[in-house]
Amino acid sequence: MKSITTLKTIILIFAISISLWNCTERIDIELDSTYTRLVVEGFITNDTTAHWVRLSETSDYFHNETAPAVTGAEVTIDDGEQVHRLTESDTAKGWYLTSPDYHGMPGRTYTLVIRNVDIDEDGELEEYTASSTMKPVNPIDSIKIEWFDTFFSGYQVRVWAWDSPDPDWYAFKVWKNGVLVTDTLYELIVQNDEFFNGNYTYGIPSQFLSTDKPEEVVEVGDTITFEINGITEEYYGYVIEAQSQVFPQTPLFSGPPANIRTNFANGAIGFFEAYSVQYSSTIATADIVNGGKP
Amino acid sequence: MRKPLIITLYLLFSILPLMADGEEEETGPRYTISGHIRDAGTGENLIGAAVMVEELNRGTVTNVYGFYSLSLSPGFYHLKISYIGYELQELAVNLNENRTYNLELKEDIQELAEVTIRSEGRQAHVRKPEMGVNKLPIKSIKRIPTLMGEVDVIKAIQLLPGVQASSEGASGFSVRGGNPDQNLILLDEATVYNASHLMGFFSIFNNDAIKDVTLYKGDIPADYGGRLSSLLDVRMKEGNLKKFSGSGGIGTISSRLTLEGPIIKDKTSFLVAGRRTYADLFLPFAKDPDVRDNTLFFYDLNLKLNHIFNEKNRLFLSSYMGQDVYANPFAKMAFGNQTYTLRWNHLFSARIFSNFTLLHSRYQYELGTPEGDANSFVWRSKMKDYSARADLNFYISPEYTLKFGLISTFHDFEPGNAFGTGEGSLFTEFILPTNYALENGVYVSAEQSAGERWNLRYGLRFSSFHNVGPGTVYNFDDDYQPIDSAVHGSGEVYHHFMGLEPRVAVSFMINDVSSVKSSYSRTRQYVHLAQNSTAGTPLDVWFPSTPNVNPQISDQVAIGYFRNLFNNLLEVSLEAYYKEIRNSIDFKDHANLLLNRFMEGEIRIGEATSYGLEFLLRKNDGRLNGWISYTYSKTTREVPEINNGNPYAAPYDRPHDIAIVGNFEISNRIWVSANWVYSTGLPVTFPTGRFEYMGNIAPVYSNRNAYRMPDYHRLDVSVSFGSKPKPDRKWHWDLNLSAYNAYGRKNAWTINFVQDEKDPNTTHAEMTYLFPIIPALTWNFRF
Repeated sequence: MKSITTLKTIILIFAISISLWNCTERIDIELDSTYTRLVVEGFITNDTTAHWVRLSETSDYFHNETAPAVTGAEVTIDDGEQVHRLTESDTAKGWYLTSPDYHGMPGRTYTLVIRNVDIDEDGELEEYTASSTMKPVNPIDSIKIEWFDTFFSGYQVRVWAWDSPDPDWYAFKVWKNGVLVTDTLYELIVQNDEFFNGNYTYGIPSQFLSTDKPEEVVEVGDTITFEINGITEEYYGYVIEAQSQVFPQTPLFSGPPANIRTNFANGAIGFFEAYSVQYSSTIATADIVNGGKP
Repeated sequence: MRKPLIITLYLLFSILPLMADGEEEETGPRYTISGHIRDAGTGENLIGAAVMVEELNRGTVTNVYGFYSLSLSPGFYHLKISYIGYELQELAVNLNENRTYNLELKEDIQELAEVTIRSEGRQAHVRKPEMGVNKLPIKSIKRIPTLMGEVDVIKAIQLLPGVQASSEGASGFSVRGGNPDQNLILLDEATVYNASHLMGFFSIFNNDAIKDVTLYKGDIPADYGGRLSSLLDVRMKEGNLKKFSGSGGIGTISSRLTLEGPIIKDKTSFLVAGRRTYADLFLPFAKDPDVRDNTLFFYDLNLKLNHIFNEKNRLFLSSYMGQDVYANPFAKMAFGNQTYTLRWNHLFSARIFSNFTLLHSRYQYELGTPEGDANSFVWRSKMKDYSARADLNFYISPEYTLKFGLISTFHDFEPGNAFGTGEGSLFTEFILPTNYALENGVYVSAEQSAGERWNLRYGLRFSSFHNVGPGTVYNFDDDYQPIDSAVHGSGEVYHHFMGLEPRVAVSFMINDVSSVKSSYSRTRQYVHLAQNSTAGTPLDVWFPSTPNVNPQISDQVAIGYFRNLFNNLLEVSLEAYYKEIRNSIDFKDHANLLLNRFMEGEIRIGEATSYGLEFLLRKNDGRLNGWISYTYSKTTREVPEINNGNPYAAPYDRPHDIAIVGNFEISNRIWVSANWVYSTGLPVTFPTGRFEYMGNIAPVYSNRNAYRMPDYHRLDVSVSFGSKPKPDRKWHWDLNLSAYNAYGRKNAWTINFVQDEKDPNTTHAEMTYLFPIIPALTWNFRF
């Protein structure tokens, strides 16, 4: 949470302050329909696990049901040396998995190819591709959690690490006892190093566990794990754009709404991203939990 | 686009012989009647007071310093001097030598009566070759009900045809579909870069310190340039030359006090006006600690000094200083304007009036976090202007006035400087390069009567803009990615722009009470605001034209019908305009405009077109006064890289716009005021589809601005009760109770599409509105 992100946070806080004296209510609006597009959400990391790609379709804005899954697709990932074919999950419709022993390597370029789908239902099959090159990420020296209670209550995760001398783009996540708790686009934090390239972070607050969310409440003995991802500049841009369109917008600070970028050609939307991962953990001790809480 | 130039030159050359003819017809000498017209009570110069020569059925009006000059053949003349809200004065002159008459007009306390003589001065509305100009008397501005009872110049002009608030309650305004940064706002001739307080809900103008407000929305006089859409010319009072006096008020959110008076009677006077909000004084009593730790206030200070050395020389010094401060435990923000004006009025002769001005204006803001943490930082930005200008008015004859002058401005833009403030800070200092530029303007313009029916105003402005080193210019490829940069040394002038700006207006009197007018004007804008939100924020990033950004150029034509009805009691006008803007500035999707070294790469250049029809019916005095305005307009933009190159509605396009402003004096102690506004909702982009990503629902959008916000309408009312008017009363007061948004219309400020917290598959539209009914009580006094 720094530089532009800090700036955005501050701006958001000013916007919230203004919202203290404004009022919100539901309104009925009629919206037009749009044609259907393929939506892809897919990741390759350097962890050894079953990596997944989710295929779904866009729907009208007030569709109000789970996005229609795209089944029966042929999904492959080419890492430059081998082509891996993903298998469709039996339990989760539209999810395609690699074998559990698969892992990516920083520096390699991964190309996702999706075939055997007919999203526009014109009777002809379409093919969609996207590539991403996995960037490396520096290890973390240590983390700490610390009680925080202004506007929001919870624990901020502070991080000690070196930023590499190269331009970097990061994503930050938090796990509690082996479960990813920052599991939505809302909670993901992405950051570039434009304002601190090559510097030491000195315990910068980088993620947050909110007491408003039951799964994020910290008890004595909990293991808190911070995950840092080395992501591509394009994916950083994708997340920034997606968040700005998903967070509330105000006439004070928001530009005109605009579609979120994608790394798919051919009309598909979403993103396929290869990123590297580092972790650092800490145990929530009694003095942190009790010392912080009133 | 050579045509306008040719037309201008043609007009100039066809008129010059007319002048020559006029001179040849002269037999014998001409003598000059000149002087200043002032308020009898305060000694303030009256701007635009009419001086009519009955025998010739011709006259003149005082300039912005209250000066008039008439050169006539020897003879016996009757002069009638009039000004709205003042008693008519008549003067008989036996003109056999140059004469100076400094006249003082008495305020018309009988104004309540419908029988007030409506002087010839009212004819100016019909006669003057001036279009798209609105002058608002301070007295009527003071009676318009406003948000929280804060009388506001900018909120008043937003009620005029062709002028719209940029968003609910905002001080930003759009003139004829233009962007808010296309308005030149001058306070005593100094540029005001951000006229907002408190997120724009109040403007920086303290009404008690202001004498005159004029908005030029089409045909900007050749004296001024640098902005495309409008000129808002705000003049501060000079300070009472006769006696010590004061005015002030205690309002719902702020208090004001203005003191003014002579230092040497009829020679030197001063004015000091201050205003401060006090909502923050009550914050420590709040229950919620998050609110208690907030700071939130703004203040304004207006200062003015002037000295009359003699009939021929007068010096004015004026200044504005204002600041907003907003802080909470998380962040702090401060921003403010300062302007300084030093003016010297000098009469070279009874026919040549001159004014020399030195100006400085600045705007700065600062945003930061509390100190002492690894991520503590401060971000500062400021911009400064230094200008000098000289203006000469040459009163050749009652039929012909010539003006010329020049202005030069040095711009200094510091778009951003961010650095960490804690020990062991994470941040490397980040400095965006400063931009320096020199902007010049030279103009000649003339006002001329040709025969009984034709009146003309034609002028030519030549403007130039020069980028001055030190400076860094980034070069971009076809995809707007930076490829390299060129560094220019200190003092090096590395890029130039220049061009002509013709301004022509003509009026044809059909009869004594009606006329047809037409105008053409070209304006060029060299500095621009990087902003893609509609309401505007204090975080302004102004940037100059550079090798990457061409100046914006606007051509506007207008035609109108003007008529006075019922013995000049009612003024009616109907104006149609069409304008085209080249190199209009917009920004790419998801533009990053703050602290961005490559901000110029976010700009997308296109064209904008606007046309409209404006109707205004106005009654300036009597027990019932006010106006009704209706505007139909359409503004579109076309930018190759936005909306797939298809035209889209400009962000401030509101096709229908109605304002009704009324004030009724029930008695001389009680008056009620109301205004009602209606306008089509702003254009907006809404989602038409959606998709799931990482547990959230993300939108797929319509074309740019394919939808409209719900229509906007609002009624404001106020009732005032004043002290009993008596001729010998020294202390006057009034109590004003107002209600903003009196029928509680929920006007959508923003519409968001949100995911339901309980059922993540469900999305719904949610509208945010800012103001329910806002009552306010204000007590005003003057002595």
